[in-house]
Amino acid sequence: MLDWLRFILTAVLLVGGITVMCISMYGVYRFKFVLNRMHVAAMGDTMGLFITLLGLSFSAPDFTTVIKFFLIVCFLWIASPVASHLIARLEVTLNDHLEDEMEVLK
Amino acid sequence: MTLFTYVLLGFLIVSALCVSLFKNLLTAVVVFMSYSLVMSVIWMLLESPDLAITEAAVGAGVTSVLFFITLKKLHAIEKRRKPENEQQ
Amino acid sequence: MNSSKPSLKQKFTAWLENASMLDDAMEKDLAKGSDLKAQENEKAVYEAWEQRQKNRHDTAVQEEHALYERIHHWTMTGGAKTATILYRLFCIFVCLAVTAFMLMMVLDMPAYGNANSPVNNEVSARYIEKGMEETGAVNIVAGMILDYRAFDTLGESTVLFIAACAVLTLLRIDLNRHGLPTEELIAAEADDRHHEPKDDVILQRSAALLVPIILLFGIYIIFNGHLSPGGGFSGGAIIGAGMILYLNAFGFKATGKIMNFRVFTVITFCSLMFYGLAKTYSFFTGANHLHSIISPGIPGNIFSAGLILPLNIAVGMVVACTMYVFYALFRKGGM
Repeated sequence: MLDWLRFILTAVLLVGGITVMCISMYGVYRFKFVLNRMHVAAMGDTMGLFITLLGLSFSAPDFTTVIKFFLIVCFLWIASPVASHLIARLEVTLNDHLEDEMEVLK
Repeated sequence: MTLFTYVLLGFLIVSALCVSLFKNLLTAVVVFMSYSLVMSVIWMLLESPDLAITEAAVGAGVTSVLFFITLKKLHAIEKRRKPENEQQ
Repeated sequence: MNSSKPSLKQKFTAWLENASMLDDAMEKDLAKGSDLKAQENEKAVYEAWEQRQKNRHDTAVQEEHALYERIHHWTMTGGAKTATILYRLFCIFVCLAVTAFMLMMVLDMPAYGNANSPVNNEVSARYIEKGMEETGAVNIVAGMILDYRAFDTLGESTVLFIAACAVLTLLRIDLNRHGLPTEELIAAEADDRHHEPKDDVILQRSAALLVPIILLFGIYIIFNGHLSPGGGFSGGAIIGAGMILYLNAFGFKATGKIMNFRVFTVITFCSLMFYGLAKTYSFFTGANHLHSIISPGIPGNIFSAGLILPLNIAVGMVVACTMYVFYALFRKGGM
């Protein structure tokens, strides 16, 4: 019974995480402007990975693996938004016609 | 050899072709980065985690950073002009 | 001078200055002897001949021009096209030939996982069977690259060091004679932060959080190299990447305190020297079925496997320094 519960939880969460990843991948090609695409890409990195690793940790053999997954999620939740922030900064510095793409509040 | 390995190997070939065919250098470097990442997964599947760690750190990390700096020195990453100016 | 007849000396100087007396005499004879008609005839013949020559010359020049124009035109249009087509055909041919050659080589290779392939000989069997017993390393790869084939790894580290030296000689911008920064260096430093975040608070906070973890992970990989996958190269690359992140967040002033040119030289030199000396010593004492003085220890302990741990540390230091120095030199031309 417990095994089945674990399996179902893992499967549902894995499918959910992969769906989020696929949506973010589609969004990267769907959107035109860098800031929108960056937002979508960061979504896949944070939420998709979190849900996937949560699903995997339900079927992990021991507790050490769960801690490793948790550390991976922590690392990526710190690193990925900072990378997105830096990309956004570079885009704002380099893009002269930012006003044409969106409303800029000064 | 599972289906997954074949998919990864196909991705390797496609990205290797893309690196040589892309005109934009920045895109080529990013594709090369993804090539290294897939290569490290393949090393992992071939049961050599030593190489996988090194490939992920050197191939995808440091090499691409060096490429990016070189592109910056060559002024390949520059301010984009407004589209109206280009038409005139 | 007053005499009507020229003296011998005058004759001689006249002969020297103008022409030979004989020529003058012949000219006089010709003028006297030939009649006018013959002269005119001769002149006409000569003129006709000259005209013919001129015509021939002109047509030759014209033909040459036409040929040149044709060749020029052809090279600019048809020739260029042909050359491009030939070049492309040649490229395709070379590509296909190399691909076919490599595929033929692949066909000759034994199948993946074939037990009878020549790779699976007694050497690898010995490595797998007796590797842990002889080297004391649980990770057979570490035992192989740092014990059985340690001079190979010394060569690899030396190649890295030579690459760093080449980059140094090519890209380093020196101070001038008086120890002051040159104009080139000042321009490079001004260009360095171009389009890059300067004192970005978000990056600095996250780097302060992440860099110690990254460095710790790299050190773990190096120190655990004989027990788990990893070792000097991977751990060194990770430490180098962490140092690059730190440099990006805090700038050259912060990293200059711990890492400068002198530190790089000292660390790489000491690591390579230690590696060479230690490995020479171990080969001298342990090879050729002599009993090794350096004991392998109990496999599985962190202080085991004899020389593998210190050698891993040496390789890791060389690799980390080389990565950082590459980055710093590519970016600014100095440290």
